[in-house]
Order: sequence, then structure tokens, then C-alpha cells
Amino acid sequence: MIFSLSWKNIWRSKRRSLVVIGAIIIGVWALIFMIAFYNSFGAAFSKNAINYEYSHIQIHNPDYLIEPDIFNQIDDEEQIISLLNENPSVISYSGRRKVNGMIASSKTSIGVQIYGVDTRAESETTRLEEQLIDGTYFNKIKRNPVLISAKVADKLRVKVRSKIVITFQDMEGNITSASCRIEGIFDSKSPKINEGVIYLRKSDLNRLVGADGINEFAILLNNSEQIDEMKSTLTSVTANTVRSYKEVAPEFNLMEESSVVTKQLLTVVIMLALLFGIVNTMLMAVLERTKEIGMLRSVGMKKRSVFSMIMIETSLMGLLAGPIGLTFGYLTILWLGSTGLDLSAYSDALKEYGFDSVFYPQIKNSTYPILMSVVMFTAFSGAIYPAIKAIRLNPLEAIRKL
Amino acid sequence: MNVIEATQLVKTYNPDTIPVHAVNNVSLDIKKGEFTAIVGPSGSGKTTLLNMIGGLDTPTEGKVIVDGVEIDNLNQSELTDFRMHNIGFVFQSYNLIPVMTARENIEFIMLLQKIDKNARESRSEELMEKMGISETSKRRPSELSGGQQQRVAVARALASKPKFILADEPTANLDSQSTNSLLDIMAKMNEEENVTFVFSTHDQRVIDKAKRVITIVDGKVESDETK
Repeated sequence: MIFSLSWKNIWRSKRRSLVVIGAIIIGVWALIFMIAFYNSFGAAFSKNAINYEYSHIQIHNPDYLIEPDIFNQIDDEEQIISLLNENPSVISYSGRRKVNGMIASSKTSIGVQIYGVDTRAESETTRLEEQLIDGTYFNKIKRNPVLISAKVADKLRVKVRSKIVITFQDMEGNITSASCRIEGIFDSKSPKINEGVIYLRKSDLNRLVGADGINEFAILLNNSEQIDEMKSTLTSVTANTVRSYKEVAPEFNLMEESSVVTKQLLTVVIMLALLFGIVNTMLMAVLERTKEIGMLRSVGMKKRSVFSMIMIETSLMGLLAGPIGLTFGYLTILWLGSTGLDLSAYSDALKEYGFDSVFYPQIKNSTYPILMSVVMFTAFSGAIYPAIKAIRLNPLEAIRKL
Repeated sequence: MNVIEATQLVKTYNPDTIPVHAVNNVSLDIKKGEFTAIVGPSGSGKTTLLNMIGGLDTPTEGKVIVDGVEIDNLNQSELTDFRMHNIGFVFQSYNLIPVMTARENIEFIMLLQKIDKNARESRSEELMEKMGISETSKRRPSELSGGQQQRVAVARALASKPKFILADEPTANLDSQSTNSLLDIMAKMNEEENVTFVFSTHDQRVIDKAKRVITIVDGKVESDETK
């Protein structure tokens, strides 16, 4: 009876109820969209960072992490390589010689990190070849070919086939210089690489520093879920430090944490707005029905029934609107998740931070029931004050208001 | 047998500042089957008296016994229950539930009393027939005339077979024809079913129809006449 009365009460003022229902639908939809959009930022950031910069796992000599010097090499390179070659989780890996140095053109010079790489392995691991925008990929210039970013090329005012000189410390501790020719210019999705990484063949760089060996392994796996298992496998065979990309770059954790906080804040803000809307509307509904509620109490309706009537009325609106909002949200994410959200208008700014210009909003299925619970909690909370107001009415009001 | 026994009822408003005695030392008994009108000018205290008899207001002094139960001793919840099972209310402005049909309004109190569906339906059909509103059973209050609404309200009050019915100026918003028709129905229910009616009114047509007229002036019983 209370349920039926509550349901009928919802439709006594259709416009007002539809405003509340509409507000909940829009609120839920907006929340889903914003969470999914925010998730797409995180996913795009991680994807680019893994695919173009860090890979899933990196291995370094523990001393290299304290002092990134050329001398701090990975000493059990062969053992690690044989493990990586056998492990099905590994898509590819790249062993790098890394040296800090200077690069100079006839115009100017800047500080860079010089990566000596196995060209095929590096391309498979960080897609270096596909990021070339000019020149070729280590197959035309025979002596000391080098790849530099478009940004570095701009700074040095050089182009493909220009000569540059790199200067760095060799294994003896001497300052060594070498003349190189630019074979290709790339435009990486990693701002850090664009800013100051140049690539030489590992054999060339090792010849120049005067020793074989590498300072870093970057390992690309099938997916991020395999990181923990792979880490423990590697840790069991090497004394070197094995770290996931999140450990290598603390900004991932910062981004994840800030993402969680931001999504929580978004939820709170939208639900607070809904809460006030619901309280306001239900309070109006109660005040408009003062006389009727007084009559109900006069003829024997108990306080708890009046309270339930208001609570059920509001909850029913939440129950009605919540799933509609969730469905709209789900369909929107389904659509945008496949077509992508094109933000090309902001591509320059996005690129600065390592993002593509197309985002694919995504949300875990487990988020939907949580959001439904949040909506119901909000509707329930919004009904409490009006319901208390209703039961505090004196039944005598019904007669006095004749 | 007395259905209502009110003894030395006093209702004082603003007792600490400027006391106003809305009801001042009123005692009255109402027997089963009476058709009583409480009359008096506006502000005489008749509605306050009715509220105290109906358990909607508590007296400052005195006591009200309904069917042997001293209702001032009941707590709020017990009093709500007591009203539901023992007292029928008819209000001046009908106070029907606008989202319910006439039939649903009539069955409402029976629903609160958890009376089963068959009993509810047969009782509401019986009352609608007696009240001459059978054809309006599926209409909502907004689709009914004032007279029809008040007949639905009386049917609602009668549906749960209360000990008595309190009607506060039930004809105040009705035209002559509707008033006569309603009074005829209530008089018929009084005679045929021995239903006890207590009205507050200053409508001469109701006073003429009443078997007992209690006149209240300035919160006191000025006269009590049985015809």
C-alpha cells in the first residue's frame, strides 16, 4: 500500500518528478563519461610510455641507479638474454648502452643522452623506426649513423645527412669525441626522448667508449598483468635491479593516485549537486502536501509509514533514473570506446605531455554497480530530511487548515 | 451506553503569557447512535472540542474516555492506532488523497487496518451504493463534484466501522442540494446502521437535522438540547 501510494505520488507532479529523474540521469551519465574520459587519459599515458619509452620492465646495475655512469654495466647480460629468449611473455627486449654527453652542430651544442642500441631490437621494443619522419633507419650511412629527434634537430639547426659531433666520457674516463652523420629524424610520442635522446648503433657506441656491454635492458611483455611474474623470474636469476615501468617512472603512481582522487571528487561533486536537488524537490513535495500528510496521520497512518512513503518515493525515482543514466553512460562509452574521442584541436598541447590526440574512454564493468549504489545512497540521503519534516507535522494541521 | 465521555475539559492556549481558554470546563457524554451537532459562532471552541474528542489534541485539564478507554493516557503511537480503529473523520475540505480513485480512498483506512481484499471490496461497494457514488468509483477526486467528494469522505470514514464519526463542518463547502443529499445519507446511516455522528457546524440545515444540539459559546456549553 505504501509502495503503491509512493509510486502514485511520484506522478502527481509529473514535471517536477521528471526534473529530478532527468537530473539523476544526466548526473549519472556525466559521471560515467567523466570517469571513462579520465581513465582514457591514464590508459593513453601508460600505453605511450610503455610502447615508446619505458617498456614494461627495465633492468639496471644497482650502482647505475645511484650514479648513472657508463662503468655501471649489466654484468650478466648473456644469462638474462637466454632467459628472455625462452620466456613466452616477452615480446621483445632491447639492451642499451647509455652515455650522457654533448651533441654539437656547427651552430650550437646541447646536452643529450646517447643510446647505443641494437637497431632491430630497439625498433621492436620502442617502435623507433616507425617514428621516423625523415631519413632512413640505420641502413644508408655506414660510419657512425645517428638518429635524432625533430626537436633536437631544430635546436641544432641540422637536417638529415648533416654532420654532428658527440662528446662523452669513455670507459677509461677520458673525454672522447666522434663525428657522426644524421641518418634519420624521429618524432617520438615520448616528450622525454624528443627532448634529449639520440640513437647510435650499439656496436658504434661500444667501439667509441672502448668496451662491450650494456647499461640497461628494456623488456616489452604481452601485457601489464605479466609484470609481477616476470619480475620475480628475472630477480631469481640476476643480482641486478629489476623494476616495473611504474617503479622506473614515479609519475605513473602519482598519476594513478591523482586519478583516483579526481574521480572520487567528481563523484562527490556530482552527487552533492544531485543531493541538494533531491532534498529541495522532496521538501517542496512534502510542504505542498502538509494538509494531506496531516490527514493521513489523523486517520491512523503511523509516523514510520509516512517516513517510508517519502523514502520509497525518492528511492523509486533513483531506481528508475539510475539504470537509465547507467545505460546511456554505457552506450556512450561503448560508442566512444570504439570510435575514439578526437581532440586534434589540442594535439600540440597533448603531445607535450605524451598523449595522442584521440582518446578512448573506458570504464570497468564493476564500476556500474558501484555507481548505482552511490546513486541510491544519494537518493536515500536526499529523502531523509524531507521525510523527517513530514513526520514532524502535527496531524492537527489537517483540521486547522480547513 | 456512552461512546464518548468528556469530563471537565479545559484547553488553554498561551498559559504562561495571555491565557486563552478555547474550551473551558466542558463535560458531555455522547451515546451510541446519537446524531449530535455541536454548534456555536466562529471561535467558540467547537473545533478544539472536536479535536480533543478525536484524540488529535490533548486537553490542558480533564479527560476524554472513548468506549471505555481514557485516550489521554495513550502514547502517540497508541493514539494513532486508536484513531484508526475507533474514530472516523470527515473534514470540511474533504481531504481525499488526490492520486487515488474514489474506491481506493474509501478502502484506504481498511488497508491501514490490514483488512483482506475481499472484505475491503465488498465493504467499499456496499458503501458506494448506499452513498449513491457507485458510478464514480474509478474517478479521482479532481474529477468529482464537491458533494461527491464529501460523500466519498463519509464513506471512507464509515468504511472501517468506527465507534463514531467526527465531522468538522462537513457541509461548509457544499451547495444546498449537495448538503441536503449528504445530510440525508448520514441520517440514513445513523438510523439504519446506528452509526454515531458528531458534527461541529453553524449550518442551520445540519442543526435542523440533528437529534441533539450542543451549543458552545466562549468555550463553555451554553445549552444541550435533545429533540
